[in-house]
Amino acid sequence: MRTALILLLILAGAAVIGSLLPQVPNSPERVGQYLAAHGFWGQLFFRAGFFDVYGSWWFVLITALLFVSLAACLLPRTRAMIRALRQRPIQARELDGFRHHAEVRVDADPDEAAVTAERYLRRRRFRVSRDGRGVAAEKGTLREVGSLLFHWAFFLLLLGVIVGKGTGFTGRAVVTEGETFVDARPNYSGQIRTGRYFGGGFTGLGFTLLDFEDRYRSNGQPIDFVSRVRFLDREGRPTGMQAIRVNHPATMGGLHVFQEGFGWAPVVDASVDGRKLWSSPIQMTRDEPPDGVPATAMPWRGAIKLTAPEPDVMITLELWPDFRAFANLQLTGQPTPMFVQFDPFIRYSVYRGEIVDPTVSDLDTSGLHLEGRGDLHAAGESTFDLPGGGQLRLGFPALRHYSVLLISRDVGIPVVLAAAILVLVGLIPSLYVSRRKVWIRAEAAPGGALLRIGGFSLQRKDSFEEEFDRIVRDMGGSREPEAPRPEKVGTS
Amino acid sequence: MNWARISSTSFDVTIWLYLGAMVLSFAYLAARRDLLWVLARVVAIAGATSNLVSIVARGMAADRVPWGNMFEYSTLLAFLVVAGTLVIVEGVARIKTLTGFSLMFSVLTLAIAAMFFPAEPSPLQPALNSYWIKIHVVAAITGSSLFAIGGIATILFLIKDRSERRALAVLREREPAPIMGGAVEVDAPHDLLPDPEGAGGAPAPKRGGVLPSAAALDRVAYRVIAFAFPIWTFAVIAGAIWAQEAWGRYWGWDPKETWSFVTWVIFAGYLHARSTAGWKGRRAAVIAVVGFISLLITYYAVNLWIVGLHSYKMG
Repeated sequence: MRTALILLLILAGAAVIGSLLPQVPNSPERVGQYLAAHGFWGQLFFRAGFFDVYGSWWFVLITALLFVSLAACLLPRTRAMIRALRQRPIQARELDGFRHHAEVRVDADPDEAAVTAERYLRRRRFRVSRDGRGVAAEKGTLREVGSLLFHWAFFLLLLGVIVGKGTGFTGRAVVTEGETFVDARPNYSGQIRTGRYFGGGFTGLGFTLLDFEDRYRSNGQPIDFVSRVRFLDREGRPTGMQAIRVNHPATMGGLHVFQEGFGWAPVVDASVDGRKLWSSPIQMTRDEPPDGVPATAMPWRGAIKLTAPEPDVMITLELWPDFRAFANLQLTGQPTPMFVQFDPFIRYSVYRGEIVDPTVSDLDTSGLHLEGRGDLHAAGESTFDLPGGGQLRLGFPALRHYSVLLISRDVGIPVVLAAAILVLVGLIPSLYVSRRKVWIRAEAAPGGALLRIGGFSLQRKDSFEEEFDRIVRDMGGSREPEAPRPEKVGTS
Repeated sequence: MNWARISSTSFDVTIWLYLGAMVLSFAYLAARRDLLWVLARVVAIAGATSNLVSIVARGMAADRVPWGNMFEYSTLLAFLVVAGTLVIVEGVARIKTLTGFSLMFSVLTLAIAAMFFPAEPSPLQPALNSYWIKIHVVAAITGSSLFAIGGIATILFLIKDRSERRALAVLREREPAPIMGGAVEVDAPHDLLPDPEGAGGAPAPKRGGVLPSAAALDRVAYRVIAFAFPIWTFAVIAGAIWAQEAWGRYWGWDPKETWSFVTWVIFAGYLHARSTAGWKGRRAAVIAVVGFISLLITYYAVNLWIVGLHSYKMG
C-alpha cells in the first residue's frame, strides 16, 4: 500500500508540473514563448518532456507502476475477503479479554438462550454462526467489499480511458455558413488527433452549417453561441436538423459534435483584367490582443493568393466587422469591442513576388513587395492598378460566419462513467461502515443461564460502545459501568 | 425592492458580524466566561443569517444560481464554513473552540472576494449555463468548505499536540527516574494530561490550554475530512461529466482539473495514512494541512494566475 500511495503522490507531483508549465497539446504557442524566454532551462525542460507531461513516457510509466503495485495490494486482499465471506464467523474462547465485555444472568435454559441470542443478532443484521452454546457474530464486511470495489474500479477506469482514447479521435471541423462538412480524414485539414489504435474508420456522415449565431448583452457579455446544422447521411440526404450550442452537443452516428469556436469568413471576389481568379469565403483569424485590449476589439486577418498572374499576387485582408470600431480607433485611438456586424469593412494590402507557401492560412509576406493598400466596404467594389499593367478588381458581396465544431469519437465513455459510479459506490461504505464482532456464550448457572458477551470494533469505537450496551441490555442485563475507558468522546 | 442593493448591504453586514463573533469567540477562549460564548454564538448565527440573505438576494438580482463567479463562490464558501462549524463542530462534536478560527477563515475569504474580484450581478456566461452548475459547483463548494473546516481543525491539532508534548516532557522531568532503569513511555496517551475542556474544574491557566485536547481535534478533523472526501470525489466526477458535455472531453488536464485531482490525491493519502501504523497523528496531520493548502491553490491560484478553462474571475 505504501508503494502505491507514494506512486500516487509522485503522479500528483508530475501533474502539478503540467499545470505550472504551458503544455504543447493545450497551448503550443505559449510553449514557444516559454522556450524563447528561458534558454537553458527551457531546453532542459523540453528534453525532460515537461511541456507534454501527460503524454510523456515517464508519466505513462508512473501510471503503469501505480496500477501494478495497486494490483499487488488488491489481489491478496481480495482473496482474503472472498475467504472471509465464505467462512462462518469463528468462535472465540476468552470473552472477557475483549475490549467490551459483560455478563448477564437470564432465567432460561442455556441452549435456548444461545438460540435466542443467535436469532437476536441475526435480526440486528449480523452474520452469525452458532456452535452449541457459543454464538459468534460479525458485521461490517461491507467496508472491505466497498474498499476493494473502490480500488478495482480504477482498473475499469483505466481500461475505459485506454480503449476510448486509443481507438477514438478528436478533430476540428471549421465550416463556413452554407458549406457542408463530411467526416473523412482530409476534411479535418490536419486538425485531428487520433488514438494509437485508431482503425482509420470515418463515418462519411456529414452536416451542412445553415447558420451560426452569436448573441451578446449590451455590456458585451456573451449569451449564446449556436450552430444550426442539417445532418446528412452517407449519400448526402438530409436526416434532420439540430442546434448545437455550448453545453448542448449533438451526436451523429457515434460521433459527438461540440460547439467550440467561431470566426468571420468574408466572401471576396478577385479578378484581374476581368478574369475571375478568386471567389470564395476566407476563414479569418484574430491576432492575440496586446495587454489591456479585449480580443473582441481586434480586427480579423486573412489573405488571398493568386498564382495565375506573373509575378504572384498576394492580398492580405484586415476585416473590421463593425466599421464604427475602426472609425473610433482612427479618431480617438480607443479600441472598441465588436459584437455585431455594422457596415463591415476590409482594408487590404497588395503584395507581389514569389509566394512560397500557397496555403491560405499562411499570412507571411516576407520576400514580397508591398504595392499599395485599399479599402473595401461590404457589397462594394474596389479597384487597384497593378504596377506593370493589369487592373485588380475586388468585390465583397457577403460576410459570413464560420463555426469551429469539435468532433470526437470515444467508445470508452460509458465504461469510464460506470467506473466512476463504482468508485463512488465503493467509497462510501469503505469510509463509513465499521467492522465489529460480537460473541455470546451461554453457560449453565443456578436458576438459568449466564451469558458472557464480548465484542470489539475496528472503527468508530465510541458508537460501538452504545451498540454493545444496547445488545447487553436486550440480552436482559443492565450493564454495569466498567472502569473508565481511556478514550473519551470529545466533550466541551 | 432592489435585490442587488440588499445583497451588497448584507454582505458588508456579514463581514462585521463575523468579525465581532470572531473577537467574542477568542475572548471566550481567553476568559472562559459562558456569557461570552453565548454572545459569540448569537452574533455568529446573525452573521450566517446575513450571509445567507446576501447569497439569496444575489441570486434574485441575477435571476440565476448565486454561484456563477469567484465573488459569489467565496460568499457561499464563507457561509458554508461558518454554518458547517456551528452545526458539525459545535453541534455534533461539541467543540466550542474551533468557531473563532472558522470565522477568521470566512472573514478573510469575504475580504479577499470584496477586494480582489468584486462583480456586479450578471447572467452566466454560456460555458457555465448548464444544469451541471447546480450539481458540480454545489458538490465542489460543499467539499471545499468541509475540507477547510478539517484543515483548520488539523492546524489546531498540530499546535495543541505540540504543547501537549511539551507538557508531557515537563511532567517526565518532574518524575523521579525509574529505579530499575526503565524509561517513561514517550507516547503516553493524550488523555493522561488534564483536559482543560473536561467536565468540572476550572481550566488550568497555561499556554495552549485554550484548545480542546489534541485527540478531540484529531478526531473531528478526521470525521470532517472523511465526510468531505466522497463529496469531493463526486464533485470531480460531476465536473468530468460536465466537461464532456461542454468541452468534448471528460478529462483534459486543465489546471483546475489537475489541482482538484492533486487535492483529491493528498486527502486520499491522508485517509490511508490514518490507517497505517506509524503515520497516525502528526504525520497524517501534516498531509491534511498540505491538502488544505492544495485546496486553496485549486481555488485561488488556478482561478487567478494559471491560464485555463476555469478562469471565471470576471464572471
